Amino acid sequence: MATTAYAQAAALLPDDVLAAVLALAKRLSGKSRLVFKGHDFELQKVFRKLVREHRSPLLDQFVFSDRGPDPYSPILSESISRLQLSGLVGRENPDYEMVFLRHAGEQYFDRELKARFTKPQMKELRRVAGRFLELVDK
Amino acid sequence: MRRGLEGRVELLVEWLFDGFETTIPRDSKVINDALLGNQYFTKAEIAVIDSPLLQRLKKIRQTGLVFQVFPSATHTRFEHCLGACTLAERCFKAILDRSSVEFPRQKPPASEDRVGGDLAHLRMAALLHDVGHGLCSHSSEQIYEVLTDLQEFKRKPAYANNAPGEILSYLIVKTKKFRKWFKEVVIQRCGAKINLNVVAQMILGKHPNRNKHFLAQILSSPYDADKLDYIARDSYYCGLALTVDLPRFYSMISTTVYKKHRLLVLRSYVPLEQILFSKMTLFGSVYHHPKVKCLDVMLRSVMRHIVENPRECGLMIRGKHIDFAEPVEYLYTTDEEFFNQSDGFGDEFVRRMLDRFRRRNLFVRCLEISRRTVTNWDEYHRKKVVDLSAPTADVHRVEKEIHGRLPASVRKKCDPDEVLLSVPGVPKIKSDNAYIQASPGAATESIEAFFPLEQWTDAYAYNKWRSFVYAPREYRKAVSNAAASILKEMFGVVVDLTKSNQACHLT
Repeated sequence: MATTAYAQAAALLPDDVLAAVLALAKRLSGKSRLVFKGHDFELQKVFRKLVREHRSPLLDQFVFSDRGPDPYSPILSESISRLQLSGLVGRENPDYEMVFLRHAGEQYFDRELKARFTKPQMKELRRVAGRFLELVDK
Repeated sequence: MRRGLEGRVELLVEWLFDGFETTIPRDSKVINDALLGNQYFTKAEIAVIDSPLLQRLKKIRQTGLVFQVFPSATHTRFEHCLGACTLAERCFKAILDRSSVEFPRQKPPASEDRVGGDLAHLRMAALLHDVGHGLCSHSSEQIYEVLTDLQEFKRKPAYANNAPGEILSYLIVKTKKFRKWFKEVVIQRCGAKINLNVVAQMILGKHPNRNKHFLAQILSSPYDADKLDYIARDSYYCGLALTVDLPRFYSMISTTVYKKHRLLVLRSYVPLEQILFSKMTLFGSVYHHPKVKCLDVMLRSVMRHIVENPRECGLMIRGKHIDFAEPVEYLYTTDEEFFNQSDGFGDEFVRRMLDRFRRRNLFVRCLEISRRTVTNWDEYHRKKVVDLSAPTADVHRVEKEIHGRLPASVRKKCDPDEVLLSVPGVPKIKSDNAYIQASPGAATESIEAFFPLEQWTDAYAYNKWRSFVYAPREYRKAVSNAAASILKEMFGVVVDLTKSNQACHLT
C-alpha cells in the first residue's frame, strides 16, 4: 500500500520535481540566469547521483533502467522534453548543449508549483537543488 | 482469485494454444516480402511463425487505424516481425564482416550458427519481439499502459526502459505453456538449440552476457532492426518517399568494449541522421496526423466506455468475455475481430462508434491548441496543457468539463464520451544510450556529442506540436466555444478562436 509521502508524490509529475529543482537551483546560485551543460547523457548521470544520494519519494519517480553501461531513465528524458515543449526550459544554439531556465519556468514554480509541495518536501528539494548545482557543469 | 500480470498472461497463452495442433514443418522456407524480397527461415523458425502467437499478428495492423487516412497502410505486425528478423540478421552479418576487417586476428564477436548460436537467438528474439501487441497496436498500447499492474512493472529498473508491448512480449515468451510447447516442438522436434531465457532477455533489450550486449542492441536501440523495418515499411505503405540507405548503415556499424559491455557503435552519424529524419517525418505526417490522432482518441473513448460498462459492453471472443479493464485483455482480440463482429456488440454508444469506424464517419477538429492559435503561448500556462500528454494524466476530467460547458440543448444530444481531447507528447527519438566511435580505438561517445538530438525535439515541439479537441461535426461550433472557455478557466491558456477556426476549417 502506498505511504502518505508516496501518495503525495504521485500527484506530482516527475516534470514538476525537475522544474522545482531547476527553479530552486537558480535561486541558490544567486545568478540572474541558470545555465548548465545538459545533454541528455549528462543530465542522466547527474540525476542518477541525486537519486542515489537523496532517497526520497520525489526523486524515486525517476526510475533508472538496469540495461546498458550508462545510467538511463526514460522518465527523466521525457520530463526534460516536456519541459522544453512547455517552454519552461530552453537550449542554446549552436549545439543545444547548454540548458537554461526560462522566465516562464520560474513563474510556473512561484505561481503554480510551490504551493503543491509540503514544507519537508521543499526542504528536501532545496538540498537536491544545491547538490545539483555542484554536479552540473556551468 | 486475483492473478498478477504474469498469471493473466499465462491464461492468455493457454487460451491461444487451446485446440492448436502443431504441424512440424518439413523444411526451411523462403517467404517473399514486398519490401525485403526473399526471406529465409529455418524449420524451427517456421514452427514458431505457424504458431498462434505469430499468426494472430496477421490480424493486427502495424500502424493501427492509420489505414483510415493512408488507405494502403494495411500491413500487419506479422510482416513486420518477419522483416525485423531478416534485418537483424543483416545487421549481425555486417558487424561480423566489419569485425573481420578491423580486427582480423580476433575471434568474431558472436557465433553465426543458425541452429543454436547467437544468430539463432537473435533471429528468434526478433520474430517474437512483438507478440505482446494487442488490438490496433500502439493505439491500444497508449490506452492500457496506464493500467495498474503495467505501471507497477514500469517502476522496476528491469522494465523501466521498455514499452508495454515489449513487457507483454517478454512475459508471453516466459509463460510455462509457451516454454513447454517450444521445448517439445522447436527444440526436440525441429532440432534448434535455443535458450528461451536469452531470447526473452533480448526482447527487453538485454543480454545475460555483457560481452554480447550488442546483440540485444540490434533489437532495441536508437538504430535497431525493429526501427529499420518499421520506418521502411510504414513509409512504403503510407506512400511516403523516405529512404534509409541500408547498405551505408550496415557499413557503418561495429562493436566496441565500453565499461565492460560490448556495445553496438556507429562509425559515423550520417546513417543515424537519415533514420531520425525519417522517424520525425513519419511522426509529423503519419503518427501525429490530426485524423490519426482523432481515430486514436475515438478508440480510447470506446474502450473507456466498455471498461465503465462491462456488463452491457463486454465482448465475447471464443468463449472469453473481455471488457478491457486489464492490459492482457487487449491481446485477446484483434483488429479484424473487434471491428467486424457480425452481430455487433455493446450498448448503443459502442455500436454507434463502431459504425463510425466502419463508415469512416470520423469526429472533426473543433479547437486547435498550438503556437499558431494560443495567444499566450510563451507563458507558463502551456505547461498545464502539455502535462496532459503524460500517460497518467486525467484527460477525461477536462473532456467532461468541456461537455458540461456546452449549451443545454447541445449537451442533451451530445454524449459526454463524444467530446475528446488529444494531447500528443514529444516524439521519442532516442530510447536509450547510443554511441559513436569514429574509428577502432577512438573514444566511445554519446551521439549527442556529435548530433543535436535535442534540437530536433525542440524544433518539432515548436513548429509541429498541436493538440486538438474533437467532436461529432454537428456539435463542432458549440464544442469549440466550450473548449476555449474551459481551457482559459482551468489552465489560463487563451485560444484565439478566429485562428483556431481557420486551422480546423470551421467557418
